[in-house]
Amino acid sequence: MLLLLAALPGLFWDGGASTAPTLRDAGISHIVVPAAQSASWKDVSGITVETGDLERAVKLLAPTVNYRMNQASASREPWLVANGWTFLRQPRARFYYDVPGDPAALAAAEAFCYGANALIKTDAAGLKPLARMLDFLRGLSARGLSGDDLPPVADIGFIDDGSPAAGEVMNLMVRDNLLFRPVRAPDRTLKLNVRLGDKEYPLEDAKNPKLIAQAVRTNLTDEKRTLRIYGSPVVVARVTGSAGRLCVQLLNYAGAARKVNGIRVRVLGDYPKHQAAADDAAGVELLDYTAESGATEFTLPELKTYAVIDLSR
Amino acid sequence: MFLQVAAASPLLAAPADDPVYHVVTRFSPAAKPGMPGPYPGQVVRVHSEKSIDAQADKVDRAVVKQMLSSGMRALTGDTRDEDAWARFISPQDVVGIKVNCSGAPRICSAPEVVAGIAENLVAIGVPAKQIYVYERFDNQLQSVGYPKYLPQGVTVTAAESSRGSILGYDPRTYVETSFFGEEDTRSNLVRLVADTLTKIVNVPNMKEHQAAGVTGCLKNIAYGNFSNVDRSHRFEKTNTRTFIGTLASTEPVRSRVVLNIMDGLRGVWHAGPFSNSARFRFYPKQLMFGTDPVAMDHKLIEVIEEKRKQEGAVSLFDRSRDHLGDNSDPNRNRYIREPGHVEYAATKGLGVYDNAKIQLKVIEL
Repeated sequence: MLLLLAALPGLFWDGGASTAPTLRDAGISHIVVPAAQSASWKDVSGITVETGDLERAVKLLAPTVNYRMNQASASREPWLVANGWTFLRQPRARFYYDVPGDPAALAAAEAFCYGANALIKTDAAGLKPLARMLDFLRGLSARGLSGDDLPPVADIGFIDDGSPAAGEVMNLMVRDNLLFRPVRAPDRTLKLNVRLGDKEYPLEDAKNPKLIAQAVRTNLTDEKRTLRIYGSPVVVARVTGSAGRLCVQLLNYAGAARKVNGIRVRVLGDYPKHQAAADDAAGVELLDYTAESGATEFTLPELKTYAVIDLSR
Repeated sequence: MFLQVAAASPLLAAPADDPVYHVVTRFSPAAKPGMPGPYPGQVVRVHSEKSIDAQADKVDRAVVKQMLSSGMRALTGDTRDEDAWARFISPQDVVGIKVNCSGAPRICSAPEVVAGIAENLVAIGVPAKQIYVYERFDNQLQSVGYPKYLPQGVTVTAAESSRGSILGYDPRTYVETSFFGEEDTRSNLVRLVADTLTKIVNVPNMKEHQAAGVTGCLKNIAYGNFSNVDRSHRFEKTNTRTFIGTLASTEPVRSRVVLNIMDGLRGVWHAGPFSNSARFRFYPKQLMFGTDPVAMDHKLIEVIEEKRKQEGAVSLFDRSRDHLGDNSDPNRNRYIREPGHVEYAATKGLGVYDNAKIQLKVIEL
């Protein structure tokens, strides 16, 4: 089993050395710069520099939520712009975000969640939120709370043919918190295997990937899902774990500006012990915690951008 | 933890597409559940032309007080108000007054009515600090301004101080179902009801509802006491027919709602539960009393149907797709209404729907 070791995302910065005070003021201590800029940063103190470029990196979307308030009730579910499926499809690729402002922090958390090798290009407004998030993520790793030492948990094997249609289905499964793993062939150790074009998942339906995602959910059944999220349609979870331990990472795609007031999480398995941490929060207390009858449930009272809950027996 | 398997075994003769409900509660029924309570099939209507000045939209508080007194005495047969109220509430109870503010501030459980109820509770010895006026949404509740009408010490509180927050709900008491494949399949009980209240007085309004047909006793204690309920409607389809009765019969709601006082001083005959258009407001000038929410809501249907007939609008029971559309036209609606939710609630044991078995007492003041 390949363990996805959570690399800390890096800030890609193409400003000259004269911008060093801005970076220092924001709390940035490490940057990735284009080779052409490298020399100018050589004698700058307090900031470590490595060279890199974005040319061969896969560009990601800026993570966010589109609420589509002008749409009818049939589509009032907010539309999440998430990159999880891209990470799962190309686990060894190098990625980059071009994301100005506060969402740079969410981008960092998203990449960290999936152990992705990612650079983040942002503007001056994004520096402080990004620096705070990177500090937090660094601290998690130091505390052993990042879950990067555990393999991803999946209920579903998805046979990815590399097509755009398959990509869209994977995107929806990520957003709907249907835990899957791309596989080359059906994996009988998983609860369900899905291949587009099979009788239950006709290619015709893939034109509306939501139909496929719904069929997957129906065939898996909610009772067998390792993870359920209640209380918000804008939270996506990444779960890693092995016997006796489960790490649940939660991302609020609306970002800190629209924090989620209460999120209820249910995972299969009795995990009486837990540790939790969340960005921009001194201490995290899980509410209404239960671990009984083969499932563990708890409420995270507030989710700004990112939280991690480490469950154990 | 009790599992009330409401329709995990679907009802006989239920339409094939009825949702399957999984009811999870940690509460067992009271020896004598509040609904249908001691007066099944009985409804008291008190009408007074003087109760509200329709021109000024101003309620006469003294008349409302008289209406409350007459209604409670007529329901119970008691000659003293204190005796009537004491049949339902004791001084040890922690009492919730479930108001309806979905059309506030234009139409809501009138503060004059709510205050009158609270005063009667205090009069029988319930400390004001043991009385809670509550609703789901804080912004709607605050728009009414209840505190200035209420006895000092009564708490006015909402389950969702921040819209969409789940913190004001009990995570261990819920009804779970998937209507349209939505991801969040739980509707949780208001935490105040689960953890604090021992009795509830239900104070709905007299309104048409564009999804449920009417919003009276049943809808106010069902959708008004649980989270994440608007997911039951999509396109023209609404699952209110079965969801309302299922929620209302979930413990402890069924046991703790001991009295219904329907505020029909004002009403809405179309485009409810809101009241954005003055054209669709009217003044029934009445209060209804009972312990049987089904019988009372059946009478509410009659009131709304009669008004719609007067206005030349189609029946609440109309299911023609030709009438779907912009509900600024009283013959059009966004949903196929489900007033059958009242009859369905009778099948859950919440009350009497058969008109031949309903006794209506009418009092004119």
